[in-house]
Amino acid sequence: MSATIQPEKILRELSDLWVTLGKDADHSQESGVLRACSMTLVTLVEESEDPTDVWSTMAELMPEHPSRAIVIRFRTSTERELASRVFSQCWMPFGHRRQICCEQIEIMASDASLPDLAAVVLPLAVADLPVMLWCRGARLFSLPDFPQLSKIAHKLIFDSAAFPDPGAVLARIGERSRSGRILGDLAWTRLTRWRGLVSQIFESRKYLARLPEIAEIRVGFGGAAPPTGAYYLAAWLLECLEKAGARARVSWTAAPDAPAGHLARIELLGGQALRVSIGVTRDGEHQTALVQVDSLSNRMVFPPDTDYMLLREELSIPNLDPVYDRALAGAARLALAGN
Amino acid sequence: MAHAILKEMPLENPFQDPLRFERRIPECAVVIFGANGDLTKRKLLPALYRLAYERRLAPGFAVLGISRTAMTDDQFRENMADSVAKFLEDSPFDKDVWSGFAQSLYYMAGDIADTATFSNLAARLKQIEECRHTAGNVLFYLSTQPSQYAAAAKGIGAAGLAKGNGWRRIVIEKPFGHDLASARELSEQLHEVFRESDVYRIDHYLGKETVQNILAFRFGNGIFEPLWNRRYVNNVQITAAESIGVEGRGGYYQEAGALRDMIQNHLLQVTATIAMEPSATFQPDSVRDERSKLLRSIRVMKPDEVLENSVPGQYGPARIGGADVPGFREEPGVDPQSQTNTYAAATFFVDNWRWAGVPFYIRTGKRLPKRVTEIAIQFNSAPHAVFGENGADATPNLLILRIQPEEGISLRFLSKRPGAGMKLRPVSMDFNYGSSFGERSPTAYETLLLDAMIGDATLYTRQDMVEASWTAVEPILNVWQNQKFDFPNYAAGTWGPMDADKMLARHGHTWRQP
Repeated sequence: MSATIQPEKILRELSDLWVTLGKDADHSQESGVLRACSMTLVTLVEESEDPTDVWSTMAELMPEHPSRAIVIRFRTSTERELASRVFSQCWMPFGHRRQICCEQIEIMASDASLPDLAAVVLPLAVADLPVMLWCRGARLFSLPDFPQLSKIAHKLIFDSAAFPDPGAVLARIGERSRSGRILGDLAWTRLTRWRGLVSQIFESRKYLARLPEIAEIRVGFGGAAPPTGAYYLAAWLLECLEKAGARARVSWTAAPDAPAGHLARIELLGGQALRVSIGVTRDGEHQTALVQVDSLSNRMVFPPDTDYMLLREELSIPNLDPVYDRALAGAARLALAGN
Repeated sequence: MAHAILKEMPLENPFQDPLRFERRIPECAVVIFGANGDLTKRKLLPALYRLAYERRLAPGFAVLGISRTAMTDDQFRENMADSVAKFLEDSPFDKDVWSGFAQSLYYMAGDIADTATFSNLAARLKQIEECRHTAGNVLFYLSTQPSQYAAAAKGIGAAGLAKGNGWRRIVIEKPFGHDLASARELSEQLHEVFRESDVYRIDHYLGKETVQNILAFRFGNGIFEPLWNRRYVNNVQITAAESIGVEGRGGYYQEAGALRDMIQNHLLQVTATIAMEPSATFQPDSVRDERSKLLRSIRVMKPDEVLENSVPGQYGPARIGGADVPGFREEPGVDPQSQTNTYAAATFFVDNWRWAGVPFYIRTGKRLPKRVTEIAIQFNSAPHAVFGENGADATPNLLILRIQPEEGISLRFLSKRPGAGMKLRPVSMDFNYGSSFGERSPTAYETLLLDAMIGDATLYTRQDMVEASWTAVEPILNVWQNQKFDFPNYAAGTWGPMDADKMLARHGHTWRQP
């Protein structure tokens, strides 16, 4: 592998690619190709990860978030290594005559070449559109030169659930958030469906009026210690309840049947037998939520929390998410108090 | 004093997060009259199930179906399970979700003409409210013959069901009257029981994502609005074509016709969306005020102007794709001498500062070459032909807003042909709604039911809008009713009668081919 790559060369290859795609479409008498782009999506992955997983997530995302996708695959090496290849991903929407295509660039790099990458990626970013950086691994996130590369991104997306120490990671990302970085944590994204259900329950004026009665938040999780998602959820609930005039305390309960690192149940408990609970059971990828509010119960299905589902939500929020930022600050405080 | 004001302030749900999830529906009961009918099976229940699937319904939710057929709650649930599984669009039928949702479905047999139905309804609603915690909020949905609207509203009022400890709203489907006088009469009958703000007149066209997207396109972008007026727009063409015939609805269609069925409601509402002034806010009444103002600005034709500015049509038999297709008069249930219009085209002018002199051509019809609904805004040509003959066959810029089937927006402009010389050719820049946002779009009924339950009437038609559109259409109806047309005047599978082409030719325009 060589030690350098030239962004201009990659850009020329991209340009040639469009010419070829246009010619191919002419030959096959289709109505041409449509180029679509709404952002540059840079993804950092370990070389050991199966590249088909990453590219299939990209493929799923493209119809909704058409982007110039740059996947950087890292190998643990002290040699400075960089190489690239360019290709396209096209799809024909059902019933249409024209293919829609997006550009994809794969860069092979070593840990040692991380400091060189910002200068490679920056010229490859599509002008005037946001750059989203998705860091798939805890190790990459922790590399000393990672902050330098992450500066090119409008938004940095990661998954704190993959980090070994929830308290430490929450403190660290909290620091970045305070410095004005736009962050998206997939551990927080997984909570949207939980939070939506809680919000739904309190659309009822009857229950809304009883919010100040809530005195306890119980969070059940799988494993020995609360995962980052549990801290986020508890922090968000505390903040919302505070707005409604409730002063609640948080208690953590282990759920032996739930897989480690997963949320299993939340309960909001108050006076006069007010009890709201949401419990989730898993059967493979299928997650069913049981919502209980006083005597009423309702069963719902959670959509699968695949990378695609989580990313599509995060990519649709390119700007600051104040609710997340406040929850992050609260979660870091809770984790610190817990330790 | 300050304390009293604070106490009266509405409570805000602190858990809302509009960036991540939309507002949910408060607890309520939906009472559907005509629960055994086609609309309930094909549209309403699939839409409500879909809202349940999307986790948007409150735990305290119930549906009470009413129709004349005797049925138990369980039989109703079984019937609806079959219908939902069959008519659900782009979405899975999940047995777990259904089993939870089905528990909220109830049924009672009753005839709208029978006063006992409404006392039984009151008792049943009370039970449901206790058992499902619906908090007294009730949405009455009249999925019945329009002739039963007044009786249903009256029965609801007489049983004391129009008021309660929660909100009460009523949804009605078009047609809202068959002319201006009957539309006013219907409104008066509804207003005897419900306030206008609680009457939701559904126009499913306004619930379509792409019709809503017109507002986003016009008022969310700064570059188009400066062009959106008589200085730059030459004409506007709105086409709503269907390739199918009346498909067994000959009896109904014979009474309605294309002008009443499509133009008076859907297409004039679309026109209003295209041409209205920006509202100060996106509040329901603010948007509806602007739509209403626009509809009231449509020039009302004088009787002697009608035949110059409108064209009725009726399809005759044809052979399409190797198969014989019957003419309208050969359809079951249709009078062989019928004078019903299965095609209608009209030229409207909007008498206001922005649109003075710009013709709005509207056409709709059955058995046209394809199913398509789109709006084409044709801009004026460049004022001077810089490119001489090379640009002579140049067509003017067109902005096309496609509502169905391929929802999206296209802008057609001229570009130089690659190579030597300066020859121009039209090219199209496309935005495709479906492929740019892979997310499944909610159906119009999901959007509209959700809005009615939340209390957002933005996409519903108000009394003054209904009256304004009848005012615009009624002179045409009056003249057409007193004429005997030489029908059929277009063959199935064509773009309508020749007279429609002549109508545009009088203004120096031609219909574009969608």
